[in-house]
Amino acid sequence: MGAIEIIIIFLAISIIISFGIGANDETMATLYGSKNLTMRELLILATIFAILGAVLLGNAVAETVGKDLLNEDLIIISNSIVLTILISTAIWLILSSALGLPISTTHATIGSIIGIGLLLGGDMGVNWLSILEMSIWWILSPVIGYIATYYTYKLIHKFIINKLSGFNNFAKTEKKFSYILLVVICWTAFSRAGNDCSNAVGIVVGVGIGIETNLLLLFAGLSLASGVVILGRGVIKNVGTITELHPSTAFASEIPTAIILFFGTVLGIPLSGSHMIVASVVGLAKSRRAPTKKGLWKIIAIWLLTFPAAALLSVLLFFPISLLGV
Amino acid sequence: MKIGKEKKNDLDEINHKFLSETLSGVAILHDAVTQFIEDRLEKGVLDGIIEAEHKCDEIKDKYVQILFKDKRALPFLVEDRYNILMMLDEVNDKMEFFARFLKVNPFKLYDDIKDEFNELCSACSQSVEKLIDCATLIETDFPGAYQLTFEVEEFKRKARTAKFNLLEKLFKKDDNPTKVYVTAKLVTYLYDISSWSEETSDYLRGLIIKYPNR
Repeated sequence: MGAIEIIIIFLAISIIISFGIGANDETMATLYGSKNLTMRELLILATIFAILGAVLLGNAVAETVGKDLLNEDLIIISNSIVLTILISTAIWLILSSALGLPISTTHATIGSIIGIGLLLGGDMGVNWLSILEMSIWWILSPVIGYIATYYTYKLIHKFIINKLSGFNNFAKTEKKFSYILLVVICWTAFSRAGNDCSNAVGIVVGVGIGIETNLLLLFAGLSLASGVVILGRGVIKNVGTITELHPSTAFASEIPTAIILFFGTVLGIPLSGSHMIVASVVGLAKSRRAPTKKGLWKIIAIWLLTFPAAALLSVLLFFPISLLGV
Repeated sequence: MKIGKEKKNDLDEINHKFLSETLSGVAILHDAVTQFIEDRLEKGVLDGIIEAEHKCDEIKDKYVQILFKDKRALPFLVEDRYNILMMLDEVNDKMEFFARFLKVNPFKLYDDIKDEFNELCSACSQSVEKLIDCATLIETDFPGAYQLTFEVEEFKRKARTAKFNLLEKLFKKDDNPTKVYVTAKLVTYLYDISSWSEETSDYLRGLIIKYPNR
């Protein structure tokens, strides 16, 4: 297979995986849940910030995710391996998006990498130290999101909400929060697009097939936006309705997510925005003593399933893809 | 974002209109009952109460349209405003019902119950007035509105005392049973206005208490 064909295939796969990531992007969920914007307005906003974030913020993590996870002393990262990882990640993302369940793209990607690593190199095929370093963040981010949201809401309640008097004051204050929330979510969408698109194109960059990273990121941003628009509504609706949200409460759940994600992206740490926002919304519900909707277990179940399912998919897909001879 | 300034002004204006019309309705009711007590009741004044209720219905319909026009308004605020509107509308309905009942067969009130009837009417009017004040104040001042809910309750208690004093006197009467029955019904319908005002004020108080936790 010629270099052009390989580039086209990789580009196509990168587009598919970005589409899958976009379809599973729940960044706009709290904006939807708090009824700040209509679904149509949300999707337009998501499109703009997906492209901007991918292009302007996508580089840093691309280098990190593409390397270090497979033991390169035992496994030569071939095009077939890269394709397998990307395709299995995309399949798992699109499947969970179709169910309206948010999952971590990072987890799906790393699950696929682990599958390939174990298949080709056994226990030693995976750089467990790197995985362990990352896994600390995966565990910490939702915990931090939960705790930070829990106390952020307590503070907002004590110093702002509790001091409001009259329906008009409530309406005015919530209006202010809705503006701030809009800015925070745009910021989150921006930084998240950078983080997620890096996942989509990072492994391609890692394999070094010579495609311009910025071009890849632009395509990734465009297909990320397409994913949100075409298939992302279910996930947005599902996460946005975990508990009753208003602009002030949505703000309390978005702040920790936005801050942690932003610094994670800047520092090159592959964080799970999905886990963080879901944990934040649950933390908010606990803080307000408000009920959460039924079916939260489905989200937890798919989180737990992501690593083995993505790993299994990559194992199943590796041999057929190898036969393509890319 | 949220409710636009224009829509907000529309909402404030229409809310103000609705409350003003309810107040004018209760003022006419007070006049009508005073005329009834003084045996000089004109049916036209009762029509005034019915007309006020019709105006309130028209305003209510517009209010509801404005309320639900903006899908971004706080859902609980829309729901609560709607519930308050419906409860206040019920006050108007009860006033209208009383007016229609009296209009069917205006009769001469027993002289010995006129004072209690006047007390009942005053308590009833004042409870509605305080309720309207409370509904106005809840938009801007929770503590003030909270205090008013107790005043509504106080007037309802006065109305209840007057009602049972009236019923006691009525049921001891050895007179035409139809007139006794109709008078007792009239007393009950008048009291119902005050009683419903108190229920509405209880609802408002509940909102004031739980709002900071919404």
